[in-house]
Amino acid sequence: MLTMILRRIFLGLATISIVSLIIFAGVEILPGDACTQYLEQDQADVELLEKCRDDLNLNRPAHERYTEWALGALTGDLGMSVNGEAKISDLVGARFANSLLLAFFALLVGVPLAMLLGVITGLWRDRKPDIIFSTIAIFAMTIPEFVSATLLILVFSVWLGWLPGIVLTSAGSPISEFFPEILLPVIVLSLVMTAHVMRMVRSSVIEVMASDYVQMATLKGVPYWQMVFRHALPNALLPAINVVALTIAWLLGGVVVIEVVFNYPGLGRMMIDAISDRDLPVVQAIALIVASIYVCINLTADLMTMIANPKLRTMYLRK
Amino acid sequence: MKKLLTATGVILAMTVTSVMAAPSGTFRQAHELGFGSSSSLDPISKGRVFQITEKIMSRLVRPDTTGKPSADLAVSWSANSDATEWTFKLREGVKFHDGSSFGSEDVLYSINRVLDPEIKSPARSALKMIDKVEAVDESTVKFSLSTPFADMPLQLMDYRIRMIPEGSGDTIAMTGIGTGPFKLVKFDAEGVTKLVANMDYYEGAPGVAEMEIIGIGDGQARVQALLGGQIDFENTVTNLQRPMFENSPKFTLTAVPTGNWRGLVFRTDQEPFTDVRVRQAVRMAADRNELVQLVMGGGGVVACDTPVKPDDQYRAAIECPQDIEGAKKLLADAGYPNGIDVEVYVATLEPTWPKLAEAYQQQAARAGIRVTIKQVPSDGFWKEAWMKKTVAATRWNERPADQALHEIYLSTAKWNESFYKDEGFDALLGKARRELDFDKRKALYVQAQEHLHQTAGTLIPYHVTKLYALNSRVKNFDMVVNEAIRWHKITVE
Repeated sequence: MLTMILRRIFLGLATISIVSLIIFAGVEILPGDACTQYLEQDQADVELLEKCRDDLNLNRPAHERYTEWALGALTGDLGMSVNGEAKISDLVGARFANSLLLAFFALLVGVPLAMLLGVITGLWRDRKPDIIFSTIAIFAMTIPEFVSATLLILVFSVWLGWLPGIVLTSAGSPISEFFPEILLPVIVLSLVMTAHVMRMVRSSVIEVMASDYVQMATLKGVPYWQMVFRHALPNALLPAINVVALTIAWLLGGVVVIEVVFNYPGLGRMMIDAISDRDLPVVQAIALIVASIYVCINLTADLMTMIANPKLRTMYLRK
Repeated sequence: MKKLLTATGVILAMTVTSVMAAPSGTFRQAHELGFGSSSSLDPISKGRVFQITEKIMSRLVRPDTTGKPSADLAVSWSANSDATEWTFKLREGVKFHDGSSFGSEDVLYSINRVLDPEIKSPARSALKMIDKVEAVDESTVKFSLSTPFADMPLQLMDYRIRMIPEGSGDTIAMTGIGTGPFKLVKFDAEGVTKLVANMDYYEGAPGVAEMEIIGIGDGQARVQALLGGQIDFENTVTNLQRPMFENSPKFTLTAVPTGNWRGLVFRTDQEPFTDVRVRQAVRMAADRNELVQLVMGGGGVVACDTPVKPDDQYRAAIECPQDIEGAKKLLADAGYPNGIDVEVYVATLEPTWPKLAEAYQQQAARAGIRVTIKQVPSDGFWKEAWMKKTVAATRWNERPADQALHEIYLSTAKWNESFYKDEGFDALLGKARRELDFDKRKALYVQAQEHLHQTAGTLIPYHVTKLYALNSRVKNFDMVVNEAIRWHKITVE
């Protein structure tokens, strides 16, 4: 068990370092740099450009800069932002907390709702509740977030005037100041994510309900609801852990579109701003953080599934 | 007796406030967050948040609602006979927000800061003709110029050149102390910046009690905030967004002409555009009215290759209808009876360029000008296409007439993008700068623009119109160019 966990952690670290290389290379390939951006509008001149590149250390060979960056990142030093002339770790901190806040509320609403609806639609398969909720879910999944976001803003803030349309609070503000502005983004995010998780839970409930042991239990005369709660659901909800984990990773990575539409000061919007400002150190840092989040959460989810599922656990043990 | 006096004082104070109608309500506006966390309140820095500095700091001279120089912190001005020395009389009794009084030393300090090469202010180019500033007395300053400059007050109207207290350069970015109608309470570039009415403002107390200037980077988000009533005013509304405000009683939508223009540059030092007839032909082939409709959705004012903005006092009234036959004939005369092939370089960094090039392609084809559109990545455009390729798209933001003509067309200008060299034109501009009589000066600038329309290599089909959308609860709002809005006048319901 322990060696298995260690191996997974090692694999995770390897993934992150490969990702870091790819990120760095990708950013290198991009045309233009912080200096061309900084000096752009009023038609940069070559001398100024060279001076700016010297100042920002952009003239050194790529591999040197990569090593320095990667070593720094290991110790938590993500470098300096080009534009704000501030430490990236300081900038990212507040933004990340905000993305966390958004994710937390979206999960708080979305996960229980998705589980409940998934079980309902699974148990009442092809009957009215299933048809209604599944159809809504398909809409929620297929309509792009920026469309549903814009529609909700139109209805709730422009027509009805119940909720503020966009977030005006700045990154470092206390949590309480994000209310009620955070409500619309939370609703949009929970919509999308409830739909995904619900469909996953639904199919796994259907699968389990059709399995041999459930039929066996039914034949043995176990009362329906007892059978559902004691035998079917624990098994049916297991696969959901992985979907929920992926959703969490998706949420924490800064839901770029949502954050831009609602002007929400999270990691995603920071990334977009940094890209348009050619603030490459910030772009790299955020990409690395998001990649690490994905790896960590997937790792945790896999371990949790294994702990919860004796079959998987023993399979590894026997090896 | 003392009691009676105090009582009368109180009553008097009450009557005075009730007559003057105390400021009330909050006006909210967004800013574009162009410089993220390096945004600053230093009016001459690159990261200045103009939407804030314009309300807390004043200029020496500001445009009146028609764009002409009018008194602000300077009440009057005069020049010597050859326009190389300008004397400005300052307003007396003005106090900065921190209580210190405003005087000639502050002007010297503020102007010298703009001119200081170490500070690298982008505003420096507007004042580069200034050689020396001196204080004549507490309320008079004298500018000595290196060249004659008849329109010095226009230069001082630049939206960035605002007066700050002497010696405040190191702190101004955060304190924002000025003499404007509003005072800074809290500066938060990425969040909500709060301002409060300056009751001692020299043109009378403002109409609104508070202002909130909010950082919203995304244009679409700003429009949503406006629609949802989170902000009151937005001036970056696009033509596509027009219908959202146009017929709504909740909003007033006004088109305000600007001096910003987009166009195509045909380099006058490269074949076939070395021939003035070819340059005329390529410009004659354009149907400018149609371009305004097709490219800008009607949001523009036709220009006849003059960079001077439509409502500028020096704008030349030129007519330039499309003339296909004329263009064909000119091309034939120049030795191209079968027309010419042109490669036009564009990029999406200016979203209207590709549309402009396509529309022009259709129009010019009729005159035998075969246009091929080359789209290059935005990042490399300024470096690799503009001023490099024979024909490329260009864009310029508003400048005073003299500055626009100089910076874009003077033989020696650094950004003479069309490599236009014309001694007659240069001489006209020099003469205009020395001419103190307004009408004669205007005639010279008009002549210079007409000369451009005859000979230049730059097609300037239109000036862009800005759409201002305003929540109807805001009253007394000047629907004029941003720099001329009198912020102390507005009130909110």
